[in-house]
Amino acid sequence: MKVEGEHIFKGTREQVWDLFRDTDVMAAALPGTKKMEAVGENVYEAVMNVRVGPVTGEFSGNLVISKENFPETYTMTVDGRGKPGFLKGIGDIILSDQGDRSTLMKYTGEVQIGGKLAGVGQRLIDTVSKSIINQAFNMLDEVLAERTAAEAEGREAEYKGASEKDYAATAAKDLVGSILSAPRAKWLLGIVILAIIGLILIFSFT
Amino acid sequence: MTNKVIGKRVKRVEDPRLLTGQALFVGDVSLPGMLHAAFFRSDYAHAKLISIDVNPALEIPGVVAVYTAEDMGDDWEPGPPLVSPPPTLENVVFNSRRQVPLVKDKVKHAGEIIAVVVAESRYIAEDAVEEILVEFEPLPAVVDLEKCLEPGSVLVHDDLDTNLAAHLIQNKGDYESARKEADLVINRRFHLDRGVAAALENRGIVADWDEKNQHLTVWDATQSPIPIRNGLAARLGLGTHQVRVVAPFVGGGFGPKIMMFYAEEMVLPWISMKLGVPIKWIEDRRENFYATTQEREQIHEVEMALSKEGLILGIKQKLIHDTGAFNPYGLTTPLNTQSHSMGAYDVPNYSSDLTVVFTNKTIVTPVRGAGRPQGIYIAERMMDIAARELEIDPMEIRRMNFIPPDAFPYDHKIIDQAFVPLIFDSGNYEPAFDKALEMLGYEDFIKNEQPRLRAEGKHVGIGIVPFVETTGVGPYEGARVSVEPSGKISAATGVGTQGQSHMTSFAQIIAEQLGVEVTDVSVVTGDTAEFHWGTGTFASRGAVVAGNAVNAAASDVRQKVLKLASKILETPEEELILEDGMVRVADVPDQSISLGELALLANPLRGAVEPGTEPGLESTKYFGPAFGATAFGVHGMILEVDPETMMINIRKYIAVEDCGTMINPLVVEGQIHGGVSMGIGNAYYEKLHYDENGQLLNASLMDYLIPGSTEMPHIEVHHANTPAPNNELGTKGVGEAGAIPVPAAFAQALENALYDYDLEILETPLSPNRLYELLHKQEDDS
Repeated sequence: MKVEGEHIFKGTREQVWDLFRDTDVMAAALPGTKKMEAVGENVYEAVMNVRVGPVTGEFSGNLVISKENFPETYTMTVDGRGKPGFLKGIGDIILSDQGDRSTLMKYTGEVQIGGKLAGVGQRLIDTVSKSIINQAFNMLDEVLAERTAAEAEGREAEYKGASEKDYAATAAKDLVGSILSAPRAKWLLGIVILAIIGLILIFSFT
Repeated sequence: MTNKVIGKRVKRVEDPRLLTGQALFVGDVSLPGMLHAAFFRSDYAHAKLISIDVNPALEIPGVVAVYTAEDMGDDWEPGPPLVSPPPTLENVVFNSRRQVPLVKDKVKHAGEIIAVVVAESRYIAEDAVEEILVEFEPLPAVVDLEKCLEPGSVLVHDDLDTNLAAHLIQNKGDYESARKEADLVINRRFHLDRGVAAALENRGIVADWDEKNQHLTVWDATQSPIPIRNGLAARLGLGTHQVRVVAPFVGGGFGPKIMMFYAEEMVLPWISMKLGVPIKWIEDRRENFYATTQEREQIHEVEMALSKEGLILGIKQKLIHDTGAFNPYGLTTPLNTQSHSMGAYDVPNYSSDLTVVFTNKTIVTPVRGAGRPQGIYIAERMMDIAARELEIDPMEIRRMNFIPPDAFPYDHKIIDQAFVPLIFDSGNYEPAFDKALEMLGYEDFIKNEQPRLRAEGKHVGIGIVPFVETTGVGPYEGARVSVEPSGKISAATGVGTQGQSHMTSFAQIIAEQLGVEVTDVSVVTGDTAEFHWGTGTFASRGAVVAGNAVNAAASDVRQKVLKLASKILETPEEELILEDGMVRVADVPDQSISLGELALLANPLRGAVEPGTEPGLESTKYFGPAFGATAFGVHGMILEVDPETMMINIRKYIAVEDCGTMINPLVVEGQIHGGVSMGIGNAYYEKLHYDENGQLLNASLMDYLIPGSTEMPHIEVHHANTPAPNNELGTKGVGEAGAIPVPAAFAQALENALYDYDLEILETPLSPNRLYELLHKQEDDS
């Protein structure tokens, strides 16, 4: 299945790149993540819980970053398997400078899903993913804004992350914005980045 | 015979047990010490199996054993061919590849079994399945029916150098010459897609090996218990007397419950013998979507040659049939399509080129209709298109092409799915067709009603299609009928029951022969301990093949009753009548003897049974027809569609059925109602969506839509009767009939309703989504 979309971030390409490639952040969070670690240069292994409607369960797999061309493009390959089925995907991320400190992020990719995730979750993926990706981009916008503001004010960026439960509930109800409130920017960044990576690859097949 | 029971609307005798929950289904079987199985199935449609680690599963408390292909050793063997290729045709390519009990080296469709867990409960077994570690090497999947034949395609079976499962050509007359004389030649390409049978009850098996008695009992929700018994005995090295297979009440079969063997059917008895305890497995709905057979995907390229008056000169088609990963059921389904692509019409020249392909999808075997709905769809769509091109009334073109009543028996000069000549035994099509038009008010609708509705801006169309159905094929069935000392009658036959009302219909046949109440006849079906010979319930053959065996056995018992009663009552047989469970002298009603007393006298404890006679009032008879009984029918509907929302409303639905002599019209109507509901599913709701990787994307009843009561129209049924000439009862099958014509009638009605869209429908099942796409494609094109 084809995956594609785009979003404009209010930040420079370098800022957005950093946001997406912050490995500490990646290791830190994502709702349901039990393990996330770098196992080589640009190779990461993760174990996470996936929840799509009635399809729930643990996924494990790896993510490989390749064809890096800072700060414009890179390619991501994801291969995961678990009780809910499997997914395999490859996608290109393209960041283009829009001027005025804003960046257009485009992603295109091909994803295969299988097992229960496909057989039972397929229809839900479509609706859930749209809602979740919107949320994720909105959150990322706010993170960038907070980061920029914090930088200007010379303080640490502060945010509180969402629990897995909040996250799923929000996805279901499309309650954008209800998640953001307080500290721990890294946690939130983790959610956002991995949500995007995960969601692009897991949920968004249109 | 004084007691006329055949043809009566007798209420089903099995219903009180079913409706009060007293009927035994496999799910009800619970034995002391019984363990439960759950299966690890592949998520991949096509993948090499690299390694399996079952140890984490074995560590879970309550898990008794885990087995893989390796553990089966020499007992591991693919299933036997259930149906072999046709032996009577020349130049047949047939590559037989059968399903395996547990995957050994390569997964060939999603849902194939890698390992089985046996545990103290199903819950534990399911949890343990999730702990099994399997390493796969995923391979590209073979999905497309045409691409899979291109050179260099990935192969489903590596030991074949092709994905071709079969190829054969059947010819009648000389199509190419006919084509030269034609005034009109039309060509169309059709794509018909897959659905599931979706029986209410999924499959289920309980296997119980009794070590001390050296006896295996298997309760199996199967349509063919006797072949399963025979096959299991052979596979497990047992005598057939050591194996009893019971198909108790089964909640719907529709075809997929005949296999030899489903992997689970082989594995459970094998494990029970290993462990010496009973094992149970009941299929869940998701397993059913992957592991139970499916049907109907075919691509057709069809050409029809006609005279300008509208007479069919010939039909030519190239058809590709998807058999899925294996082909245990031979060519039954596509041969049925070949046999039915000429519809009810006198087609002098026919050429049909059949290709069957392997794909990485669930195995295909017959589902109610079994290739016939596709054949009828092709024939009827082509008739509609021809009528439009020739500007002939679509009903008139059908009428002029019907096989005339004096042409029967009509030899189509090709072979059918039973490997016997395709001969239509009897029929009288035009009166039944006219009746259907009358019931639907065709003339009035076209002349008055439809113009009025169109003026109101409504899109309401009419569709009427006739169809034939080859039914009641051999090889044979048998039945035993006995008079008990109580005066009640017991009977047994080998066919299994999945809702066909056998216990009522067969009791009616016996009641008529023996002059007893239907409720005094007890019929057992589907238990190999009760009846030893037979094939199964399929191909709309119960009432024909088993029904006539029951009739023959009951008739023979009647002769025995008359012979004995004649001696005791000292009256010639011709003067005796059987009624109310008694044998009476016709003109001296007081002079009589009950059937029970006669049964006792026929089985004396002293004295001698006369040489050349048998004890008891019992008979076992068999019936095997040389070729089938051809049923006919016409279905019609008035269909409203909203071209904005694509929602439909079937305003009126009528069916004229000619299934020869009816044993019970209530049962016939029930079969039609059920069939039509499947047909509506095949027309507008039920389509399996496989992606390019062989993944099923709607493997649940949330996403795979089955018509419910709100989608079902009221159905008005009329019975025509052209008795089958080749069986005593005159019966023809009707179990599949209801499902066959619906997609064709629906397509005709939909085109007629959407007259202002220039729509031509060449596919089924449709859906609101798909119809939207088709309509907007029309708009884009224009």
